[in-house]
Amino acid sequence: MTAPAPMAEAAFVGIAELPSGRYPDRSFMGSLVDVAVEAVRDAGLSMTDIDTLLLIPCLHSAADQADLVFSRVVEELGLAGRAKSSVMLHSGGSTSDNTVRTAASLIAAGHARNVLILQAEKWGSAPVGEMIDMLTANGIPREWEKASGLSFNAVGALIARRYMAVSGATAEEMASVCVALREWARLNPNAMYRDRALTVAQVLDSRLVSDPLRAFECPMMADGAVALVLTGAERARASHETWVRIAGSGGCVSHYSIGQEPDLAVLGWPTASAQAYEQAGWGPGDADIAEVYDSYAAVLAIALEGLGLAPVGDAARMFAAGDFSPGGRLPVNTNGGLLSAGHTGVGGGTALLAEAVRQLLGRAGSARQIEGAARAVCGGSGGTYMDSQVLLLERVSR
Amino acid sequence: MAAITEPYYEALGRGRLVLQHCKACDQAVMYPRHRCPVCHERDLGWISASGRGVLLSFAVQRFGAPSGFDADTPYALGVVRLAEDVQLLGRLWPDADGEWNAYACDAPVEFHPAAPEEVLRRPVAWFRLNPR
Ligand SMILES: [Zn+2]
Repeated sequence: MTAPAPMAEAAFVGIAELPSGRYPDRSFMGSLVDVAVEAVRDAGLSMTDIDTLLLIPCLHSAADQADLVFSRVVEELGLAGRAKSSVMLHSGGSTSDNTVRTAASLIAAGHARNVLILQAEKWGSAPVGEMIDMLTANGIPREWEKASGLSFNAVGALIARRYMAVSGATAEEMASVCVALREWARLNPNAMYRDRALTVAQVLDSRLVSDPLRAFECPMMADGAVALVLTGAERARASHETWVRIAGSGGCVSHYSIGQEPDLAVLGWPTASAQAYEQAGWGPGDADIAEVYDSYAAVLAIALEGLGLAPVGDAARMFAAGDFSPGGRLPVNTNGGLLSAGHTGVGGGTALLAEAVRQLLGRAGSARQIEGAARAVCGGSGGTYMDSQVLLLERVSR
Repeated sequence: MAAITEPYYEALGRGRLVLQHCKACDQAVMYPRHRCPVCHERDLGWISASGRGVLLSFAVQRFGAPSGFDADTPYALGVVRLAEDVQLLGRLWPDADGEWNAYACDAPVEFHPAAPEEVLRRPVAWFRLNPR
């Protein structure tokens, strides 16, 4: 008996991203095609090398989402008759984490050679009221909670209130999370708020939207697009000096509706991160950067604590002390996060993931590149923070 | 089988809060389910809830409400864990001044029904502070 062939480990080799913000003239399909072409070239591949397309859903339009489901991208990219599989995966804000796990598994099992992950969103150009209403059907049970008037900002407020009560974090400390993310965004040419500074006083002076959240603590909907290319490590080794591998992953689906979450200040992070660190064989103290879903400050603080990157109850205080800001102890959300790079729907998590890969490849640009970044902790969460998904990434050099 | 919303909404309209109860494993179930999520049997009935619980968290919606809710603003939403060890999202009655400053996380609360017309309009459980 010969030993089974070693599984082909997946390697990130290409990324592309369009600036986030309001770009009403930028078409949805055109954005997808643009990032697809750029990411495949970035990977040193030809488009015809791509055999599998994994599509991350848009939320701005059911018709555009249907185009993703029904393989329009295959025709647009000239892959008709060549693509083996084109499929949309969806778990809301954690989709990119689940998609990367799926891509890596397909590659490892020999079902795919080169996988193109694509995402585009037009939230920034869509009518805000329609998007608020659309979201009440995304993770809010129509029979039991919708009639109460629950909005997504209220979901964030329920989590923020509980986090502040158990941690003792002050309004100033919560506001400082938003300010730290803005400092990062100012270093990112793709960020929606790259040109606008933000202070704690400005946050606290903005109007209450859903107590305890104020207007500047709520994410701004944005247009955006991201593409990622994964291949097998052997192929990566043949043509690249450096690539990024998935060292470990973990997940925990803790609820569907916010009314059923037993611990609003913990969520699924401790369970998810324990799985991921065990698989990776390294721990939170080994991380050089963290790129973690941040649609609200408390959501990020809770995640960092569950990921072991801050002592329980201390994350907001550490933001206020500058620990997670540019120049701080641990760089967190170096693209500005959803709160300041822009909330591109499901794509907010994809942009964070792309930023992790970019940092580990040493290609984040002089303003915000973390010197020697070799290990990244990535976290995503979908719907009403129904799940906590962790990817641990590390740089590999030939 | 009647929609599982019907007995729940009908009870709310009579000023009562009911929970599902699994006769097979003697478990309270909330939100109502098609099968017991613990033992997966179908033997589900309805019981009266104590109505007493603690407020896990709450939010006051002021701007950016979903369509049809602007006229309700400001309104408060709370996650309540009932004595039966199940939980739900509901509305909170305002304090005398029309705000919710007396509420806090982990405060004891009790079910206090809205008028039948309001429940017909919005089938929601309402809670108020319970100064035990
Ligand atoms: Zn049962």
